[in-house]
Amino acid sequence: MFGAEFPSPVLLASGTCGYGQEYADLIPLDEIGGLVTKAVSLEPRPGNPPHRVAETPGGMINAIGLENPGLHGFIAEKLPWLREHLRRAHVFVNVVGHSAEDFAAVVRGLDGEDGFLGYEINVSCPNVKGGTMFGTDERALADLVARLRACTERPLVIKLTPNVPDVGDFARICEEAGADGLSAINTFPGMVVDIGRREPLIGNKSGGVSGPAILPMGVYATWRARQTCGLPIMGIGGIRNADDALQYILAGACLVQIGTASFVDPGAAVDVHEGLSAYLEANGVARLADLVGALRARPGTGPAIPAG
Amino acid sequence: MLSAGGGVAVERAVPVSRRATLLSTRLVARDTWWQEFDCPDIAAAALPGQFVMLGVGLDAPGAWLLPRPFSVGWTGPGGEVGILLRAYGEGTRALARLETGQTALLLGPLGRPFDTEGAEVECVAGGVGLAPFIFLAAREAAAGRRVRLIYGERDAGAVFDPTLIARLTDHDPELFTEDGSGGRKGLVTAGLDPASGALLLGCGPTPLLRALEAFAREHGRRLQVSVEEHMGCGIGTCQGCVVRGADGRWVKSCIEGSVFPAEELDWGAI
Repeated sequence: MFGAEFPSPVLLASGTCGYGQEYADLIPLDEIGGLVTKAVSLEPRPGNPPHRVAETPGGMINAIGLENPGLHGFIAEKLPWLREHLRRAHVFVNVVGHSAEDFAAVVRGLDGEDGFLGYEINVSCPNVKGGTMFGTDERALADLVARLRACTERPLVIKLTPNVPDVGDFARICEEAGADGLSAINTFPGMVVDIGRREPLIGNKSGGVSGPAILPMGVYATWRARQTCGLPIMGIGGIRNADDALQYILAGACLVQIGTASFVDPGAAVDVHEGLSAYLEANGVARLADLVGALRARPGTGPAIPAG
Repeated sequence: MLSAGGGVAVERAVPVSRRATLLSTRLVARDTWWQEFDCPDIAAAALPGQFVMLGVGLDAPGAWLLPRPFSVGWTGPGGEVGILLRAYGEGTRALARLETGQTALLLGPLGRPFDTEGAEVECVAGGVGLAPFIFLAAREAAAGRRVRLIYGERDAGAVFDPTLIARLTDHDPELFTEDGSGGRKGLVTAGLDPASGALLLGCGPTPLLRALEAFAREHGRRLQVSVEEHMGCGIGTCQGCVVRGADGRWVKSCIEGSVFPAEELDWGAI
């Protein structure tokens, strides 16, 4: 998959594992499938004012604001560590931009470097102005993917936003424009109100909601994407354990990413992998690939998109 | 690494994640518990001012619960880690309900500790901001030194059992309550001595820290404060817990703090 062997189908999700180094003492990084870096933009970004995170029912809300050292800072300060320390786990660099040219400049700037496998293109961040612009506009998304395709031969994975009428349409657009894979899904836009102060709790006012609360929406988005395109999908959103991961895999994901759950237990990604292996053995399934998209959806028993 | 003053080592241990058994839990004030966990790795490595992320983990039935940061309140000779827990909301109430023999996940020791450089020290605590100073005072007492411990609460019902403080630290804190129902009436800042040259350490609600900063600035005193911002991970990955630094940067309170020399922060934005 993506031209590589993955030691585990479980990766760490962007924004929850920094640039890898922070987890190196806590989990055996080379025993997980890999990690997706914190977003990298062309120029450094300072991020949003606090509060940036808060717990919500069944999850959390964040509005970090894509704080990152920028392309050159990433290459100078972060990439050398990844290159030196990861032998088997694969790195996807999460890329953001204000414009298509921004995205392309980051990809062009990184493409001559080694130490990572591919790109995860973040067209779906709800926490910065214009963050979801490319992910919610079919034409803009198609143009962006085609443009980035021309910049690199590395795996190009598009991280979709759930904030569209039908994720399936956007998945198909990515495939037609030359993407190699999809990450489904990014966080949902949300808000928490501090009733004492009568103002938004989060400094950015709104943020992205993650955690178990969004598990069924992520599974649904994965299933829709699988129905409309043939690209490999990384399932993400609310996975805590192997059972949650299996929902994504049966719905069509071939890899999964662990995000918020790593905050609860840094070893979550390792435990999910062990749980998946145990499931395969207990159920006499030879390979995880045999389960990908193996959902037995009964025909004619409901609309593809729920009414209302 | 020893600091220039030859005092507290400021080099930090690598954090570990451990499932630890709750050895004891005791209601020590209104809505406030003293919990001791069996966690030798963290107990051996923690320094005063450092914290742990405490949560119930992913396999706890029912509730979803992000871990919360708690100052290491004490470490025992048998590998115990003590924390002072005040139940404010659902998450802390769930942690307060933990029973002896149950386990929780501890990640630590985390953050930058106090750097006391062997100096004369005055600790100023508001509410559960007392916790790191129990640890500090106990360490200092074990080394044959004394610190001044000034502790304030809203009222007597919120005051942490003084006999337990004395047993843990061999110190008797100078107590203030806002309503006068315990100790002296007033705010802890009333206990500050303008003539003293001691290093000030502060931990507690933001208004207390602001008042300490103003006092320290007015009297030319050195001050270190432990700040708390909402945290996600505790190890610097999520960048959720930032405060504004004096240089205009957002600084991560989990790894660049949570203890900061006062001059490193932008007090207009705290």
